[in-house]
Amino acid sequence: MNIVVCVKQVPDTAHLRFDSNDQLAQESLENVMNPFCEYAVETAVRLKEAHEGSKLTAITMGPPQAKEVLKRAIAMGADEAFLLSDEAFTGSDAWSTAFILSEAIKKNLPSTDLILLGQFATDGMSGVTGPALAEFLGFPSMTFCKKAELKSDTILEAHRETERGLEIYEITLPGVICIMKCDYEPRIPSIKGVMKANRTEIPVWDAASLGLSADKVGLKGSPTMVAKTWRKPKKEGGIKVDGSDPQAAVSQLIDFLRQQKVM
Amino acid sequence: MGEFIVQPTEDYKGIWVIAELSESGCLLDISLEALTAAKSLGESLHQEISAILLSATNQDTSQAEETLCQYGAQQVFSLKHDMLAQYQAEVYAYAISDLVGVKLPNIILAGSTSTSRDYLPRVAARTHGGFAPDSIALEVNAQGELEVTRPTYGENLWAKVVFPKNRPQIVTVRAKAFAKGEADKSRPVNSETLIPPLSPELPHTKLIQVVQGESKTGKKLEEAEIIVSGGRGLKGPENFKLVEDLAEALGGAVGASRAVVDAGWRPHSEQVGQTGKTVSPQLYFALGISGAIQHQVGMSSSKIIIAINKDSDAPIFDIANFGIVGDVFEVAPVLTKTIKEQNLAVSV
Repeated sequence: MNIVVCVKQVPDTAHLRFDSNDQLAQESLENVMNPFCEYAVETAVRLKEAHEGSKLTAITMGPPQAKEVLKRAIAMGADEAFLLSDEAFTGSDAWSTAFILSEAIKKNLPSTDLILLGQFATDGMSGVTGPALAEFLGFPSMTFCKKAELKSDTILEAHRETERGLEIYEITLPGVICIMKCDYEPRIPSIKGVMKANRTEIPVWDAASLGLSADKVGLKGSPTMVAKTWRKPKKEGGIKVDGSDPQAAVSQLIDFLRQQKVM
Repeated sequence: MGEFIVQPTEDYKGIWVIAELSESGCLLDISLEALTAAKSLGESLHQEISAILLSATNQDTSQAEETLCQYGAQQVFSLKHDMLAQYQAEVYAYAISDLVGVKLPNIILAGSTSTSRDYLPRVAARTHGGFAPDSIALEVNAQGELEVTRPTYGENLWAKVVFPKNRPQIVTVRAKAFAKGEADKSRPVNSETLIPPLSPELPHTKLIQVVQGESKTGKKLEEAEIIVSGGRGLKGPENFKLVEDLAEALGGAVGASRAVVDAGWRPHSEQVGQTGKTVSPQLYFALGISGAIQHQVGMSSSKIIIAINKDSDAPIFDIANFGIVGDVFEVAPVLTKTIKEQNLAVSV
């Protein structure tokens, strides 16, 4: 079984800082592996461990420092990793990222059976890359998965959580699944794993090596473009009352709700 | 299945709303919200509004078609095929992409649901359209171009997305971000049944089983106008009764913080926040929730936030419209009792 996990480096959204123009202060960003990618790597490692003879490959697209998340994936249990990096990739939207990933997989990882991604990246929050990648490859896809188990070499059982409840599907491989939060937590890399990650060489694939011309990738190859960003208007705290007399506090709350015309 | 043939940008005209039906065959409210948003875009752009429905061959969709026309669709394209009886991403994506190739719509809107977010990225990939999910505002600028506002970076940064060249412009709208308009019962029904050319080779996925949600109040979190959420301040799963009682008295749904879901007190389907659900009800009660940024991501766009927490420095008070600094075990039961005794009703 050849498993690929696509991961993404994102700024830690709990520690964002903004400049005086309400734009993200880029230099202060702390980069981490996207939290949903952590679950995708964990699920991929579990599938690999349950299916002897499997190989797990981690890939990411990003600037040179995105190698850090590949090292983390190796430390968690991936066997090898590749970085897709090129100046020409800058400005790629999720559609274009999915296209570049699909070309890389077709060319360099053609015998892939299963691809896992995080459901969303916490920066773009789009959830587009996984299903779009599947469409480019002609594979089935399944989003919002929280569990996956191999039933055979070609059948994967996936648990999908939706508004309707938990849906259990069988997917005929090769296929793509997008992982959200699971009932299990991503493992913390072991010291042995970290040492292995430091030893492992991470080759870089650029546009030329993938046979991609510059007008098919990056901003030029992207159907969408971000024209403007601004900081979400901050919500101000309102009334704060002492609750040591619960009855009095509740009366004040009910008065407040009446003023707001909701009660 | 042939390759999709991309046409010049200016050949794409008209606005589509892909409507979604519930398991019982009713139109989802979010589809009517999307339709109302489409109507105002249609007025700005002087383009026709069409609604798209997908169903099994024998399913009676006349009621839904009538409703879609009353809410502003000038025509309904009702795609019928036995392979559409049960949702599968590949089949939906193919059926819609095929119709895109025939009719060349300029804009496609849909409600942001786990279904639309499953198959629409495939439609975008196949048709070379752009995709902007989970929009909270739509505008047409002075040049007549669509501008989509959507939250990014854990809901901290808003982005305006534009589509320079590629069509269709595919957008999903977040639940309750757009108001549902009024039905005009005098509008005529104009519906056309179409049979998409689907290959039996599709799909490569099969639904085996659906396990219903565990919500005790029977209310879905994403659709609820009132949500009562509990956190670690409740000290144990047995005390969630306080949350459930208040939710019941208010007619709301129950939510939970990440901490209590991770502790196994509540199912993940109730989790509000970064790795859970994003909700925007009229009224959000946070009981014993400190309100870490990861929780705020999922609920800060609620209209009115009410917090009860004994720690007066808890970050939840920074965003609460009304905060009670007190013991949740004392305050919540009094609140529930008062609502019940005085027969207070919330109108949202």
